[in-house]
Amino acid sequence: MPVFMGYVPIGAAFGVIATTAGFSFLQAFACSVFVFAGAGQFVAAALLKGGAGIATVLIATGVMNLRHILFGATIAPYLRNTPRRLQLPLAFTLTDEVFGVNITDAQSGTADDYSMIGAGVTAWTGWVLGSAIGAGAAALIGDPTKWGVEFAMPAMFTALLVAQVTSRRRAVAAAVAGATSLGLSLILPGAWPAIGAAMLAATVMAVTDR
Amino acid sequence: MSWQIWAVVAGMAVTNFALRLAPIAVLSRMRVPRPIERWLSYVPVSVMAAFVATEVLRPGGAWPAPWSNPYLFAALPTAFIYHRTRSLFGATVAGVLAFLAFRYLLG
Repeated sequence: MPVFMGYVPIGAAFGVIATTAGFSFLQAFACSVFVFAGAGQFVAAALLKGGAGIATVLIATGVMNLRHILFGATIAPYLRNTPRRLQLPLAFTLTDEVFGVNITDAQSGTADDYSMIGAGVTAWTGWVLGSAIGAGAAALIGDPTKWGVEFAMPAMFTALLVAQVTSRRRAVAAAVAGATSLGLSLILPGAWPAIGAAMLAATVMAVTDR
Repeated sequence: MSWQIWAVVAGMAVTNFALRLAPIAVLSRMRVPRPIERWLSYVPVSVMAAFVATEVLRPGGAWPAPWSNPYLFAALPTAFIYHRTRSLFGATVAGVLAFLAFRYLLG
C-alpha cells in the first residue's frame, strides 16, 4: 500500500512529462508497463525531448540502471530457495523503493517470496496507473511539481533510511555514504555519486568489521 | 519520431530487466563468500543514505542554502514520523505535506 500510493503521483508526473516529450498515450503507458524504471524513464523522456538519438538514450539509462546490479546482488542471498519462475517478477519489479522495502523486510525475517512479489506488483500497479492518469490528463494536471510530487521519492528514501539504521555501525555507514555522495556529486553525474558512495561506505564498514 | 520512442521503450525494457535479473539468477544459486556477504549487508543502508543526502541537500542538482531548503526541513518530520509509526505510507504523505508547507513558508 505505501509503495502504491507513493508511485501513483510520480507515475502521473512521468505521464505528463512523457507527453510533453512527444510520447503518445500508448507509448507512455507501454513504457511504464514494460520498463518500470522511475528515474530512468524521466531521463529518457528528458533526453528525447532534447533531441537525443536512440543509442544515447539507451546508454544513458542503461548506465543509470547499473545500480540495480548491486541491488540484485544484495537481495540474491535471500532468494536461495525461491523458484526461478518467482525470481522473474521479483527481478522485474526491483526498483529503488521496492528494493528498500524488500531488503529491510528480508533482513528482519518478515519477508517471504510472495510478500516480496506483492510489494513489487503493488508498486508496478501504482506506477502504471499513475502514468496512465498523467498521460491521459496531462493538460488538466499541468505542472506536476505544484502538487509537491517531487518530494514523494525523497520522503520514501528518508523513511527507508530510518528503517535501515538498526545498529551503531549502520549509522556510521549511513554517515560515510551520505557525506561521500555529496562530495562525489560535485564531480560525477546522475546516479554515480550514490553508487560510488554506497560501495565505498560498504567497503569501509566491511573491512573494519569484527 | 514515433518509431524512435518505440525503439527506446523496447531497448530500455530489455536492458533494464537483464540488469535486474542477472545478479539474482546467478548469485541466488551460489554460496556467497563471507566477506562479500558482510560487504553486501552494508549496501542497503549506504544506498538509502546516499540517495537521501543527494536528493535532500542537492535537489535537482542545485545546492540551496540549508535554511531555505524545503527538502531538508521536510525530511526531518518524515524521519520522525517513520521512526514513531513505522508506516512508510504515513511518513511519505506527511513528508509531502510538510514539503508543501515549507516550500510555501520559505518562499
